[in-house]
Amino acid sequence: MKVIEKSPTVQERRKAALVPRASLVRWAIIVAIVAVLEFTTRTGMVSQSLMVPPSEILIRLAEIVPTDRFGQDVARTLTTILVSFTIGLVLGVPLGIFLWRVPAAGRILEPFIVTGYAMPTLLFYPVLLAVMGLNAGPIIVIAASMSLIPIALTTMVALNAIKPILHKLANSVSASPRQYYLKVLFPAATPLIFPGVKLGFIYAVIGTVAMEFILASQGVGFRAGFYYRELNTADMWAYIAVVIVLSVLVNGVLTWLEKRIRRDML
Amino acid sequence: MSQIFPIDTVGHDSDVVFDNIGMTFGTKTGVTQAVANVSGVIPEGKFVSVIGPSGCGKSTLLDMVGGLLKPTKGTVSINGETVTGPRRDTAMVFQEDSTLHWRTVLDNVAFGLEVKGVPKADRYESARRMIELVGLSGFEDHRPGQLSGGMKQRVAIARALAMEPRVLLMDEPFGALDQQTRQFIGRELLRIWEKTRNRVLFITHDIQEAVYLSDEVWVMSARPSVVKEVVTIDLPRPRPEGTHTLPRFRELEDHLWELVKVEAEKTLGPGARLA
Repeated sequence: MKVIEKSPTVQERRKAALVPRASLVRWAIIVAIVAVLEFTTRTGMVSQSLMVPPSEILIRLAEIVPTDRFGQDVARTLTTILVSFTIGLVLGVPLGIFLWRVPAAGRILEPFIVTGYAMPTLLFYPVLLAVMGLNAGPIIVIAASMSLIPIALTTMVALNAIKPILHKLANSVSASPRQYYLKVLFPAATPLIFPGVKLGFIYAVIGTVAMEFILASQGVGFRAGFYYRELNTADMWAYIAVVIVLSVLVNGVLTWLEKRIRRDML
Repeated sequence: MSQIFPIDTVGHDSDVVFDNIGMTFGTKTGVTQAVANVSGVIPEGKFVSVIGPSGCGKSTLLDMVGGLLKPTKGTVSINGETVTGPRRDTAMVFQEDSTLHWRTVLDNVAFGLEVKGVPKADRYESARRMIELVGLSGFEDHRPGQLSGGMKQRVAIARALAMEPRVLLMDEPFGALDQQTRQFIGRELLRIWEKTRNRVLFITHDIQEAVYLSDEVWVMSARPSVVKEVVTIDLPRPRPEGTHTLPRFRELEDHLWELVKVEAEKTLGPGARLA
């Protein structure tokens, strides 16, 4: 009896000890990568036309970040991402509900949607530029359509996964359709939809930055592309670092949100 | 000991009355008659169980009282009114776990009342009372994921009871539980029912459970089903722990088993013999 009680505590203790150790190792890896980059670029093992030492990137960043232009670029990129994601959400969720409610439509449209998922949508970017002009419009169209697809698909899958007993329960207590959607269906589906929403956000980020990189008048991606074409390696990397930091932050927020939803809903 | 069909279907206004109901499903291969003809009354304050072979339409019968299915023939009426859809005065407990996993126990139990539009303070008060009644005090803020299967079914029972139903409809509510939990929660149900005395329509395939809980057991035939016999369970109430060992309990159990056996053999096909 004692042994049975003791063994999980030992495991738990080990697990608890492992958590700070794991994040410590993770930080060590990051430090090591930075150190290797610093060393290889400084010694010329990696040409400075490809990569500049991280310390120089930091110095460039310190100069770039306080400028007005930087603020405008970040604001432009963030708004484009947010607008694209919001459109993806506002269209994607109802589309997912529609595909679930009308299974025939789901069967007919699914190949199109899956193809849309696999297709490099960015190929339409030049056409959109020609039609809409050089502004945030074409980027939003591409990023929103990229964001919409995983959201719609997971919404459909999540709603299909809801146990029929919940429908029976709602019916047995005479829930109105509105009550059924708000009190049963959506809360039941949310934890399952969330991974799709997260993916949708990531697609909005990728879509926005990639389109900016190709051609735009403003934005973090545009600036990285601009310096790339100008062979200004240090500034290009400074902007790439900004994109990396942005992605890490956004992903952190989404992961935190997902954990909260899972804790409260599962 | 028992009343042979046809039984008296003239009930009181407040009773649940099945009047010659039948149910026919259209299937790909043609038409299946699930329920041929059922008449009967669940009188005020009575606990009625329905037993019968698998697929004999027991759950269909229950869904018709709950207004989830419409009989293709005849009517079900409650309180003198024909059932045309789900009613506010019936509440259901299902075999499957039907708790809402994102809600706390308190909010699960209050769910039916919330849908009914009962104000928050009132529904929480009723919910807390029901939680105490089913023995889940202290678990109000737990979520279903933290509860055992038996506890989840108690949440479902409390949710149904909180709606103060005229008829409590239970579709094999303990079917998914292990034997010990099942017996324990059966005793609990009886203890609760002694206090509330709702009408109960209880579907089960467990004969012992049916005898222990009920005032009447309706034995259904194989498809297309009729009520073959209504067996009155004349054991005194309340029924304490040793009830299972009473000679009368055994007699009733044996009698019901004989009735069910014949029907089960029909369902299982020619040549099937049950001991």
